[in-house]
Amino acid sequence: MVVVGLASCFGCQINLTNAEAHLMDILSQVDVEYWQLTSSDPMPEDFDIAVIEGAVTTKEAAETVKALRGIADTVITIGACANTGGIPGLAAEGAGYEERIAAVYGATVPAACGTMVAPSAVGEHIAVDYEVACCPVEPLDFARVLQHALYGSNVQQLTATLCGECKRNERGCFYEDGTLCLGLVTRCGCGARCPSLGRPCKGCAGLSADANLKGARAISAGCGIPTGRFEEVLRIFNHGEGGGDSTEARSEREG
Amino acid sequence: MLYRVIDGSELPLLVEAFLERYEVIAPVQTKKGYAFAPVDSFDQVALDYPSTVSSLKKYYLPQRETLFRFDAETNEVLDLEVEVRPRVLFGAHACDINAINCLNSVFEDARYPDPYYEAHRRSMLVVGISCTPTSECFCQLMDADEARSGYDLFLQDIGGRYLVSMNSVEAANILETACNPRVATDEDRRAFRQATRRRQESFNPAIPDIQEIPMLMDAFHSDAFWDELGERCLSCTACSAVCPTCHCFDIRDVLDPDGRIGERERVWDACTSPQFATVTGGHNFRPTGRERVRHRMYHKLNGFLATHDRNLCVGCGRCVRACKANISPIEVLRFFEKKGAEDAE
Amino acid sequence: MPNSARVVVTPLREGGPAATGSELVRANPYRPWPARITSITELTAHEKLFEFRLVDDRIREAFHHEPGQFVELSIFGVGEAPISISSSPTKSGFIELCVRRAGEFTTRLHELQCGDTVGIRGPYGRPFPIDEMRGHDVLLVAGGLGIAPLRSLINNIHDERSEFGKVTIIYGSRTPKDVMFRDQFEMWRHRKDFDLYLTVDEPDDSWDGEVGLVTKPFEHLEIVPDHTYGAVCGPPVMYKFVVQEMRNKGISYDHIYMSFERHMKCGMGKCGHCQIGHQYCCIDGPVFNYWEAKNIQGSM
Repeated sequence: MVVVGLASCFGCQINLTNAEAHLMDILSQVDVEYWQLTSSDPMPEDFDIAVIEGAVTTKEAAETVKALRGIADTVITIGACANTGGIPGLAAEGAGYEERIAAVYGATVPAACGTMVAPSAVGEHIAVDYEVACCPVEPLDFARVLQHALYGSNVQQLTATLCGECKRNERGCFYEDGTLCLGLVTRCGCGARCPSLGRPCKGCAGLSADANLKGARAISAGCGIPTGRFEEVLRIFNHGEGGGDSTEARSEREG
Repeated sequence: MLYRVIDGSELPLLVEAFLERYEVIAPVQTKKGYAFAPVDSFDQVALDYPSTVSSLKKYYLPQRETLFRFDAETNEVLDLEVEVRPRVLFGAHACDINAINCLNSVFEDARYPDPYYEAHRRSMLVVGISCTPTSECFCQLMDADEARSGYDLFLQDIGGRYLVSMNSVEAANILETACNPRVATDEDRRAFRQATRRRQESFNPAIPDIQEIPMLMDAFHSDAFWDELGERCLSCTACSAVCPTCHCFDIRDVLDPDGRIGERERVWDACTSPQFATVTGGHNFRPTGRERVRHRMYHKLNGFLATHDRNLCVGCGRCVRACKANISPIEVLRFFEKKGAEDAE
Repeated sequence: MPNSARVVVTPLREGGPAATGSELVRANPYRPWPARITSITELTAHEKLFEFRLVDDRIREAFHHEPGQFVELSIFGVGEAPISISSSPTKSGFIELCVRRAGEFTTRLHELQCGDTVGIRGPYGRPFPIDEMRGHDVLLVAGGLGIAPLRSLINNIHDERSEFGKVTIIYGSRTPKDVMFRDQFEMWRHRKDFDLYLTVDEPDDSWDGEVGLVTKPFEHLEIVPDHTYGAVCGPPVMYKFVVQEMRNKGISYDHIYMSFERHMKCGMGKCGHCQIGHQYCCIDGPVFNYWEAKNIQGSM
């Protein structure tokens, strides 16, 4: 297995190591051949599993993920940046990417940045076999996805949205106070962690393939939340027209 | 049935007596409502709670329950012994007791009694309490406003005192030891009738009382009404999470972090979850919200009745509050009312 | 003192509590029992026939199935899947399951070897009414993998051939390469006591059977409707057309039996996954007669 970091805060990789009690148990199931965060050993020529954190923000990164896909049997992306473009992806929102770069770096972009392109999800460049959701990922979620890849599993990937999990936590609803929460359209699986800690969902797990955006916008507007606000928050983790990675685009990519 | 009367001031004694030997679950106030939770004194009990976000089913069918552990390397089932703590569910409303009766008929089915469910149920005492309907309550329309069975004690508030129906020896013994139950007088019985009448009169009259619901469900199976509900559905499964009778579950294997040992668990699932009716190979028998919402309502208002002679909806109103898209049995009743009015024109 | 209750999942071991197989099964119906793969036959590029033997004598002796029933098969860590039984109850001591490689579970199953152990619980479900069928003509129609449950019925009839009247089998596949149990059926083509129609959608040069849908052989079928039972199993689209043909021939609603495919997860009428309308495929079915099916919203 190799672990590769692209444009991101590296928080997902760090969080994997936070599974302290179980880290060795998890990693004992694979040979970690390359992980820049833990060792300066070079990447091997052959490997079975590539784990990718971060968004594609340069031509070089796009080449890297293509090369990884060419070698690995299994590609696992971890975290919102890799899955949806995440926070780096915000820079790609709408027009004016070039101007944004100029505003940040001035006339000369540092060479270390590579040849910059509008940030995008790994899945827009290559086929991804498994995604570990959220910002950051939960280490035990990673363990389960890794085990799914290694041993197979008939557990289905659910596209139900978050409110059901929130209700299982016996929570009230942010909309009762007129507070925007993206649980209405975000795919389930995290156990509605943020709402259970008193924070509305911002959609870091990604838009559900069965998200009812039209219905959710109507609910949000009905609670007196300005229309633009819904789109604004949705864009934080879910980019593109209509405020999200559309089901069709995703299924086309995944073939 | 045996009836006795106790004073309101004796209730704390009853709860304290239960606490000596059982874990006591009771309605408590939370930040944004009420929930059933363990209590350790009578003070924490919110006796006059209107309803809770979620129901009592979690104590019979936990959200996550281990069925057994296994060794994935040798493909063998390992030892598992589950001991269930004796519990008192204190303060259940009639609708919730009727909901448990629905679950009983599924999980204690003579052909395949469910050992996990039975263990929970065997270790449970249920103490019901009378209630005042909220504006979303329609238990009387679902024939669930009265608990005829399924409890050990039922406390009917008759003004400063309680008329107690005693339905089990175990609970009666505790009641008699902790309190001074007295025989009901004519005045108590009058107060009971008045309380019952007051309650019947306080149901929300805007929720239509529809006759022949199962027949109407069949008659309007293909109506565009279901498209409309389906388009509104957010596929969030909040409805079934809060529902006291929804009992569908998934069975799945979860490995320990090391991948060697694992456990087979059952977790709550919902027929409104998009993948619920898919089979191997990917075919989905209920691919859109229309089919899923319709299926759920059918099971509630038609299907369960056909097989178990009672509705799988007890009119508790929880899904009415939980559904952001305003989909609930009440909407179905309103639709039938509208159809009836159109036919009459 | 208050009652505390227990659930015990006892592993199978030497010197364990003495109990009969059915007592063991009833004590915890969710517990799968070890079964060893004793033979694997490749039927097509995608389907294999597995033969299993329940390891424990008590469990094996308590295992009685009827045609049309299914078991829940476990590969621990991967999960559990419902699979219909392909072997006939007239042959006891082993269980045959015909499995298509279609998802992750079945892919893993296809990787297993003879001697490997899996878990099995069951059998579950309402079977074909074989006792009712005795003394009558039987018309069996299978499409694709639908042959898996019907083979149990077919072989049962074969083993007790004298108890049944005229037996007609129509089995449709996409191509000749997809025909399962081809050797067995090739042998039966010349038998007088079975009317066999093998049909494919896309023939190749080697094919000398019928070409077309499973409904095509109905053109030259002669049926005594009052005296005939129909049994159908195939992909969801097939039922409507086959049942209509049977109705056209005059077979009564309640003499036409069909087996439905759903994902039975618990097998015991609880988990809800296999519901069709108000019926549970796992306990009310998977075999329903056409009258019942017509009365289930959303069945066909």
